[in-house]
Amino acid sequence: MVESEFPEITTFGTLVRFALELERVAAAVNEELASDPSCAAGAGTFRGLAENHRARIALLEETRREKLNEAVLEPISDIKGSDYLIGTDVPKGAGVKASAEFAARAEDTSARFYMDTARIAKSILHGAVRTLERMAKENLSNKAKLEAL
Amino acid sequence: MAVLDPVSKNYGKMKNYVNGEWVESESSKVLDIRDPSTTEVIGQVPLSTKEETRAAIDAAHDSWWSWRETAPGDRTRCFFKLKTIMEREYENIARIISQEQGKTIDDARGETRRCIDNIDVAAGITSLQMGYNLEDGAASNIDEEVIISPMGVFAAVCPFNFPGMVPFWFWPYAVATGNMFIVKPSEQVPMTSQYMFRLIDQAGFPPGTISLVNGREDAVNTFFDHKDVRGISFVGSTPVAKWIYKTAGEKGKRVQAQGGAKNSLIIMPDAVLDKTVNNMLSSFYGCAGQRCLAGSNMIAIGDVAEPLLKKWLEASRNLKVGRGLDESSQMGPVVSAAAKEKVLGYIQKGVDEGAKLLLDGRGIKVPGYEKGHFIGPTVFDDVTPDMAIAKEEIFGPVVCFHRMKNLDEAIEFTHKSPFGNAASIYTQNGKWAREFRYRTQCGNIGINVGIAAAMAYFPFAGYKDSFFGDLHGQGKDAIKFFTDRKVVITRWF
Repeated sequence: MVESEFPEITTFGTLVRFALELERVAAAVNEELASDPSCAAGAGTFRGLAENHRARIALLEETRREKLNEAVLEPISDIKGSDYLIGTDVPKGAGVKASAEFAARAEDTSARFYMDTARIAKSILHGAVRTLERMAKENLSNKAKLEAL
Repeated sequence: MAVLDPVSKNYGKMKNYVNGEWVESESSKVLDIRDPSTTEVIGQVPLSTKEETRAAIDAAHDSWWSWRETAPGDRTRCFFKLKTIMEREYENIARIISQEQGKTIDDARGETRRCIDNIDVAAGITSLQMGYNLEDGAASNIDEEVIISPMGVFAAVCPFNFPGMVPFWFWPYAVATGNMFIVKPSEQVPMTSQYMFRLIDQAGFPPGTISLVNGREDAVNTFFDHKDVRGISFVGSTPVAKWIYKTAGEKGKRVQAQGGAKNSLIIMPDAVLDKTVNNMLSSFYGCAGQRCLAGSNMIAIGDVAEPLLKKWLEASRNLKVGRGLDESSQMGPVVSAAAKEKVLGYIQKGVDEGAKLLLDGRGIKVPGYEKGHFIGPTVFDDVTPDMAIAKEEIFGPVVCFHRMKNLDEAIEFTHKSPFGNAASIYTQNGKWAREFRYRTQCGNIGINVGIAAAMAYFPFAGYKDSFFGDLHGQGKDAIKFFTDRKVVITRWF
């Protein structure tokens, strides 16, 4: 079980905080799966994805650092964090196929999160849209890698 | 959600940074610095003496020529280095701003970005400081040119609401153009500057180029009295700005003095209401209303009043007030007990004047921070132009709701104000927007933008009692303020 603390999304800042938590949890989930003996056949993929999610944390922090200014402190009310929570109860000894399905669901949820938030960012923080869309694409690519396992 | 850790719980006693060294003030006057959310003491600030301030100016002046002779291209290297350091320290800077000033962490992050933006612009000094010339400009075979040259030592007296950004409106431009600079931060929020100067210290500026003097009136009076201070930059209230302008002018110094504000946001009947309300929330309540660009008068035109007010009240009630370092907070406290008392006084005045108090933020309690200087969103309806709350700067999260017939009436109302800092209009109608932009006598105009804050490469403007001087902070105005024009006419025999 990976511990998580997802914030309520009320501003662009909390949106980024939510995204950071998504990435941190995804990295931890993949790391756990990589070290599960029943997933040995997919360990390299899981480890690579964990690394990818850690790198995305830096990208999100950079986006926040560069794009956030006081003009974008507008409240966000039309996105519910609860719609984008990813599984934290990592299966143990379930084998590579079931574990990959678990991780793929997380990638799918994250992709949806980034696509939806990119739409919101278009009106309040256009500069962040490209990053969010790129994140969504990467999630779908990660999902494809998992489905191939 | 968890509250972010502060960089430190107690920063100790602030030091001055003079001639490239950290110096302990020997002043007997020392004030406590308090976290406005907890009211706990988080440091002390000395009120430096006249002698200490003089020593800083002398040291700066003594080293000036060496910096003036440093090629602009070499000066820029210090700025690039500082930028790198500041990007690395971005989060720490933001947390200190939030902790000592009270504003939300995202607001503080935005402010930190504004600091770096000014470094970015000042790093372009090799282009910005170029002069101009004209072959045969004086006569045939006699050329004429203008050199943009630095002047010496400048100083800034800074306010409490933007402890990070405001010094950066000035010093990067002064130093990049070859001047020396002394920052006097607000004694209420000196920790951000203390931290910034640690970073500046690592960036390779030669000793004396940029100095920090903590203090209050003794420091400011010494800036006036010292012959080697060529100009003063100030941001604060209008009475002090006026005094600074007058006093510095009498002493033959350049002045740019930004004063108070009473900003009106006008909502036309065709405004996109949901987006307008969202946008205005950060204008009226960001930084707990302690912004010179904050909305204060909300003017509804025609039949937009009722639906607007309904949405506004709902959004205001939903705003989460809390500690700035709590990332879920949307509004923090005001900076001090005195600031809170002043705002509460205005709320009472509004009640006494007969305005209808629809939302009263006076009694707000923030769990875990019961002693903090919090004031909840406050909304008055039925405000009339003659009321004090409609005319005077409140500097708190208080909204004065007006109903007017048309744009003419609203513009006329803004023109009656002695202030001219900012005004905004919300509309989809280009004609109204153009009319508003053309006629409104304010320095910063927003069209569907509630905080018309100029980016670093534009001047932070201001008209009437909101600004005294002619050249503003930031951008090309700042370059002009910190330099003089030297005309050279050349003839070779």
